[in-house]
Amino acid sequence: MRRYRLLLVAGFGVSAVLVGLLFFGNLNRNLVYYLTPDEAVAQRADFDDGRRLQIGGLVEPGSVVRTPDGLRFTLAAGTEPGSATVAAQHTGAPAQLFRSGIGVVLEGSWRGDVFISDTMLVKHDENYGAPDQQAGGAG
Amino acid sequence: MTLSGARLPAVAGVAVAAGLAGALLAPPDRLQGELVRLMYVHVPAAWLAFLAFAITLVASIGWLWRRRPGADRVAAASAEVGVFFTGLAIALGSIWGKPTWGVWWTWDPRLVTTALMFFVYLGYLALRRATVDPVSRARRSAVFGVVAFVQVPIVHLSVLWWRTLHQPPTVLQPGDPSIDHSMLAALLGNLVAFTLVFAVLLRERVRLAAAEDALETAEESAAAISPAMRCPRRGWRAPVSEWAWVVLGYSVAYGALGGYLALLVRRRVRVRWRAGQSR
Repeated sequence: MRRYRLLLVAGFGVSAVLVGLLFFGNLNRNLVYYLTPDEAVAQRADFDDGRRLQIGGLVEPGSVVRTPDGLRFTLAAGTEPGSATVAAQHTGAPAQLFRSGIGVVLEGSWRGDVFISDTMLVKHDENYGAPDQQAGGAG
Repeated sequence: MTLSGARLPAVAGVAVAAGLAGALLAPPDRLQGELVRLMYVHVPAAWLAFLAFAITLVASIGWLWRRRPGADRVAAASAEVGVFFTGLAIALGSIWGKPTWGVWWTWDPRLVTTALMFFVYLGYLALRRATVDPVSRARRSAVFGVVAFVQVPIVHLSVLWWRTLHQPPTVLQPGDPSIDHSMLAALLGNLVAFTLVFAVLLRERVRLAAAEDALETAEESAAAISPAMRCPRRGWRAPVSEWAWVVLGYSVAYGALGGYLALLVRRRVRVRWRAGQSR
């Protein structure tokens, strides 16, 4: 019985610490699922060529160029003009939903000023609509 | 099964048929095409996982307060059904994620916290199996059932707290849901239908637990409680049509629901048969 109580207190302690960490802890960037293009550019020095990272942003409309083994495009932080951009080169077939304007998360590494990616995840938003209304950030 | 006992499954069956019709008649999405139909099974599965764990929380508090064995049975039954629906939501999310995101799985905060919730409640079921004495089992699992619930808001809010690949909530957000209203109607219809199926499953599981407890007191032998699990299925690699994904998702959803219900019914029939033998 005493051992059980000890276990219970320990369990409560661990979960309290975890919850406190989740709510109040300033979670460092290792827990960030992807960097935005502006953060990626600002932290360029932290990531040597070849060190893998994930960058998420919007595919800039009109920037997509097909290459023999994949595609090249510009990844923008936002839709407004003047937002930070990253030149990206992706190897492999694009995901089924890939199109200009859509959000993507790219996994890969820097080579000079170009982000070389080999994995692309398409990030669709929480807006759903019939095809005729053509609304939202993705056209 | 008596007439009143058959009424709930009958209503649930009609609601599921109506929900399926609504899901197939709703328009395709401007971006995802037919793939959006996977939302009508994935979202209800996730919602019922939340509801199941909320029932476990309430029943656990109820047991700690009144110490009635019935509350413990409801808490345990609801946790098992919740684990089932969490597994189903992960499997269906995987089937939705492969054609839309491009991957079956990624270490996204929503996915990781959901998997964590799945394992925490699997731990709850393991704790129940590991404890033999009914009273200490009920007490330990009641405390566990209360503490573990902290996972549910973490999972729900993970998409707002952290950057995720998973999209933020569509319906449970301030303001008008950002969804076409015919799609919203189909989604709500399926939420109701799945909730009725959940009620059938939960009732069946509670009855099984009651039959097992009765058998246990009759023959003083421990009856095993085993969680029913569905794992994400391996699929094909080549690009497949949107409808193939929808059909796969719906087959997994309805197959798993029907299979789980059949399993519960069969186990209860067996327990009753054994109770008849030992009499």
